[in-house]
Formats: sequence, structure tokens, C-alpha cells
Amino acid sequence: MSITHHPGEELLLGYASGAANEAVALLVASHIALCPACRAKVRGVEAAGGSLLSDMAPVALGQNAYQAVLARLDEPTAAILRGANLGGDVPVPLQPYAGANFADVPWRHITTGLAHYPLLSKGGTRARLIRAMPGAAVAAHTHRGEEWTLVLTGSYHDATGRYAAGDVQSTTPELSHEPKADDGPVCINLAVTDAPLVFSGLVHKLIGKLHGF
Amino acid sequence: MEPAERLNAAVVAVGRLRDRRAFQDLFDHFAPRVKGYLMRLGAGSAVAEDLAQEALLTVWRKAALFDPGKASASTWIFTIARNLRIDAIRKERRPELDPNDPALLPESERAADEGLDWAQAEDRLRLALAQLPREQSQIIELSFLAEKPHSIIANELGLPLGTVKSRIRLAMARLRLALGERA
Repeated sequence: MSITHHPGEELLLGYASGAANEAVALLVASHIALCPACRAKVRGVEAAGGSLLSDMAPVALGQNAYQAVLARLDEPTAAILRGANLGGDVPVPLQPYAGANFADVPWRHITTGLAHYPLLSKGGTRARLIRAMPGAAVAAHTHRGEEWTLVLTGSYHDATGRYAAGDVQSTTPELSHEPKADDGPVCINLAVTDAPLVFSGLVHKLIGKLHGF
Repeated sequence: MEPAERLNAAVVAVGRLRDRRAFQDLFDHFAPRVKGYLMRLGAGSAVAEDLAQEALLTVWRKAALFDPGKASASTWIFTIARNLRIDAIRKERRPELDPNDPALLPESERAADEGLDWAQAEDRLRLALAQLPREQSQIIELSFLAEKPHSIIANELGLPLGTVKSRIRLAMARLRLALGERA
């Protein structure tokens, strides 16, 4: 797998710091499951988090805090296993949302060759899987806010280029595109839209039906 | 032993030997900092106290998974506190990698990473963070300590999204340089 389109560093920062919302975090986690280079970058930013924690002004805990924790050290806990092998063709960070196998996802039909499965929707951000059979195209559309698409299997192209497994396409509201799945394996994508909070004058821009689906 | 190395060794001792003396060291050092971090992010004192205790309890339980070749103790504990906070305060799931994910590719291109002395790297990072231009460090801080995603930062600072993104890129390149990686 040769990944040529990576998520912007602002997404890696948001994921590592914890600032990213769940949908964006899901996209980044799924990308770094496939991309060692971005995984290393995330580790580097987390190290910056470590040094911020080291420098944090300490706030004293209650007098009995340590005793309270000590009393719980021997509580029985479920075994914590490193790297339980869950199997399946869905990247591990996605499995709690979509199950282990793409074939078992309860796909919902959109139009010929296109299906989707919503994963989460919260405060204006959404994440969903989109499945496009070879040659299927998504009707031309623009975006409300930023949108990121991570290719999980197969590939697609639009006027900006070709996107294959592991690639992330970032689109801004200005872009109008008509992505079309390439011949070959079924193209399955994770699409995340992030409609940021905007002051009321702009709210109308965020509302309204999404084109396509 | 340098403080960061002492703390790394303490986590290893807890993981391998269930060493309570080492655990108390970790508790004394990290619990007040984790509490400070959580309060900085807006948690009330009681909630921060509970979560700081929970974080250190997690350190005890997961210490055997700690790998000083991959992170320093403070980085590892930062990720524990961050995830606990997302779970307990934001009530969100935290998508994470499974270290044995069969989809993971070998990190051959980043093999240098594995041999990195993370305790020393942390000192270099601290310096690099302190030396960032204010316009860059401000954005990093807003991300880590105010939980603002880049779009909100742009909005609040009245900057175009592209400007915020390029400041983040510049800051991250400097941090990677401090880690000794290719920028």
C-alpha cells in the first residue's frame, strides 16, 4: 500500500491532543492504522503532550487520595491484554462502530451501485461509511464545512486526483466534485464532515440538505 | 538518574514487580499534575480529583503494557488522562489503535523512532515548545489545554482556516526536528 494523500497536520494535532471530536478522531485513528508515517507523527505530538503534563502546575489532591487508590489496587479487574487480535477486514479503530467485516455491515441503499452506513452524528459532525461499486459515481456536490474521506478498500478518482486505500481526501466548501469509483475492488470509504460552530449570521450556511446523500 | 528516567523506571518496576514504592513515586509526581491538567481543561476540583485517582489506578493496572522505547512515562500518562477525560467528561468513545492490529504495517521507514530515548526527547521537546513563536505556541496550547479544534481556533482568533493550518504545520515541523526526525 502506498499512501500519497495524508490528513492535514491540524487533524493529527487534534487527535493527539484530544481536541478533535469523535468523528475526526475516528478518521485519524483509522488512517494511522494504515499509515506508519502519520502514526509516528501522532506519537511525536503525544510526546509534546507529555512534556506539557510534566510542566503542569501541580494541584494538591485531598489528604486521603493516595490511601483511597491504594485500597483499590487489589480490586479484581478484567484481564488487560495487549493487542487482542480481533480479525476481520475493518481497521481496528472502526470495529466498535462498524463490526469486524465490511461484508456484515448493514448497508443502506442510496442509488445504483451506492450504499452507506451512518456511524455517528453529533453536534454537526457526522461519520459514515460509503460503499461504491466499480464505476459508481456520487452526484456532483459541494460541502458544508470541511469534509474528509478516508479510502478503506478499492479506489476512486475525481478531478483532483486518484485516491486509494489509506489515502485521505480533504475537501473545503469551495470544492465541487463528482467522485467515481475505479474498476477493481469495491471502494469503501469513511466520510467525516465537520461543521464547525459558527456565529449566528452564518448558521444558514450550515443548514440545508446535503447534496447527493 | 534524570527525573524523566526515574519515572520511566518506576512504571517499569510497577509493571514487572508490582512495586508499590515505585507506584507511590508515580502517584506523588503525576496525580497532582493530572489534576492540574484536568482543571485547566475546565473540570471542577472534585471531578478532577476523582479522574486523577482513576488515571493513576489505570497506571497501576496497565503498567505491564508500558514500553519505554515508545514513549516516556509522562507521555504515556498524558494519553491515559486524555482518554479518561474524553470518556468521562465528554462521554465520547476514543478510537484507538490496537498495537497488534494485523493491518498495521511495519514501521521500517521510521525504525529510528524505536531507538529514540524518549526521556531525553521530552527535554528537547520542552525546549522547542518554549521557543516556538507565540502565534504557533498559542495554537498548540489551545489544542491541548483548551480542547479547541483547529476550526474553532480559527474562528476565535479571527484567522482564516488556512493560516491556522499553516501555523500548525510550522509548529509540528519544529517539534519533529526536536525529536530528531525528518521534518
